[in-house]
Amino acid sequence: MNEYAIETKNLKISYGDNEVIKGVDLKVLKNVVFALMGPSGCGKSTMLRAFNRLLELNKDAVVEGEVLLFGENIYSPDIDPIEVRRDVGMVFQYPNPFPHLTIYDNVAIGLKLNKLAKNKRELDERVRWALEKAALWDEVKDRMGDYPSDLSGGQKQRLVVARALAMKPKVLLMDEPTANIDPVGTKKIEELLFELKEDYTIILVTHSPAQAARVSDCVGFLYLGELIEVGSTKDIFEKPKNELTEQYVTGELV
Amino acid sequence: MSVSNFRKAKEKAFLIAVGITTLIAILPLFHIIATVLMNGLPPIVAKGPVFITGTLSEGGIGPAIVGTFMLTFLSSLIGLPIAFLVGVYAYEYPKSAIGRLTKALLQIMLEFPTILVGVFVMDIIAIPMGTYSAFAGAFALAIILMPYVAVYTHEAMRQIPFTYREASFGLGLTKFKAVFRVLVPVSKRGIMTGVLIGMAKVAGETAPLLFTTGGLYQSYPHSISQPVGAIPLLIYTLVQSPSASDHAMAWGASLVLLLIFLAVFIPIRRSLKEVKL
Ligand SMILES: Nc1ncnc2c1ncn2[C@@H]1O[C@H](COP(=O)(O)OP(=O)(O)OP(=O)(O)O)[C@@H](O)[C@H]1O
Ligand SMILES: [Mg+2]
Repeated sequence: MNEYAIETKNLKISYGDNEVIKGVDLKVLKNVVFALMGPSGCGKSTMLRAFNRLLELNKDAVVEGEVLLFGENIYSPDIDPIEVRRDVGMVFQYPNPFPHLTIYDNVAIGLKLNKLAKNKRELDERVRWALEKAALWDEVKDRMGDYPSDLSGGQKQRLVVARALAMKPKVLLMDEPTANIDPVGTKKIEELLFELKEDYTIILVTHSPAQAARVSDCVGFLYLGELIEVGSTKDIFEKPKNELTEQYVTGELV
Repeated sequence: MSVSNFRKAKEKAFLIAVGITTLIAILPLFHIIATVLMNGLPPIVAKGPVFITGTLSEGGIGPAIVGTFMLTFLSSLIGLPIAFLVGVYAYEYPKSAIGRLTKALLQIMLEFPTILVGVFVMDIIAIPMGTYSAFAGAFALAIILMPYVAVYTHEAMRQIPFTYREASFGLGLTKFKAVFRVLVPVSKRGIMTGVLIGMAKVAGETAPLLFTTGGLYQSYPHSISQPVGAIPLLIYTLVQSPSASDHAMAWGASLVLLLIFLAVFIPIRRSLKEVKL
């Protein structure tokens, strides 16, 4: 088994003629929270979506180079993007539970449609397990039949974490998961990351150096489509090698 | 007068002007409803329930009401599934040959004179069958219904926020499942709106029925291969008669048609308001 959950080799991504990721080589260890930080527009969301081949929903996006998931290139022709997406779950910047489904069904939908549960009991158990993992079970266990519209932003975001976890992915991608929720919700999500990294590898996109410092084990600093520096969170924040990194973590570069 | 007072006065004048224009624009609508009510209510009250349940010789429009529901139902049965699939397909594969062709075709069909649809269906169905029939009429109405439903379905799919699309594909769903099991249900209200608008549209059509359904007002329809009546068609026929009692009947039938239309239209308004995601 490979020691890296995600590894990219000369990854280049462009939208039409506009190259936004310019040859990135990155290695992400297993069972860590890896923070991908950088200013707005530097290409974080784009790069993240290359890790589960979700970028393909955008017909203009072109990916070159390799992305290895536990050593296997997910862009090789014999790989089915649908399989990749089952192994690599995703949580988005805007809390997006499906509005027409109950809380229960929001968590169960991936299992149901992919026929991954043998029977109702197994499904119930997995839903409960995922909600417990996402630290939401106690808050919703008596209202599983309600619609998610009444949940707070933070609860919605934990609900979609549960939706992703129910699929038992190996890697969890999170694209600024706290950008649209309140401080209390943010704190809960951040606490959750510590729990989750025991079983998963988490790649967290954030534009906040402070958040990266709080929650991550390793950090990559992305700037204008180039990976400027990668290292342990301690090193990056205490003794950055690159001047741009230093400016960014001290808040001089926005 | 200070500048700000002047500006306030100008704003007020503008608002009043907008108000009056709006009133002028909606006045005809109220006028229509009021006229239909005033002329339509007396004959219905005079006849009583027979007006709704009786045949024409009994002084009722029962067969026409049943005919309208039958035609609307049959045309929906034929048209809705196809239109729904076309709308989804045209949105999901906009660049494909079929996707581009259907979008252009839908635009043309929306504007197409409905009487020509009637002539066309007469030529391909009524004449070969040797009779007017409910089926021929429903087929003509289905052709008129389809572009509405397809266009609304397309629009409903387009309005789904991209993040739901990402979320469903992100769960490792196939395109078929992501589209039909998640995204279509997300936009079901928008799609239902199109369905209702299409049905309301065909329930009120006259022209495509002229050469296709014939008419049946002295007895209730019992077969789709036989002629059938419809409320708009009956109104059209009654108005041409010289007799005043036929005219009164036509007004009564108009009121019934209006009520059926409102019964469909008010839920549409409601569902439109709810298209929030
Ligand atoms: N769908 C798209 N089509 C074309 N260009 C795009 C598209 N999405 C993003 N871009 C461009 O790619 C670049 C990187 O965008 P991306 O969203 O990946 O940045 P980001 O680091 O996630 O920014 P933010 O912090 O604002 O979310 C930007 O210049 C953006 O304009
Ligand atoms: Mg982003």
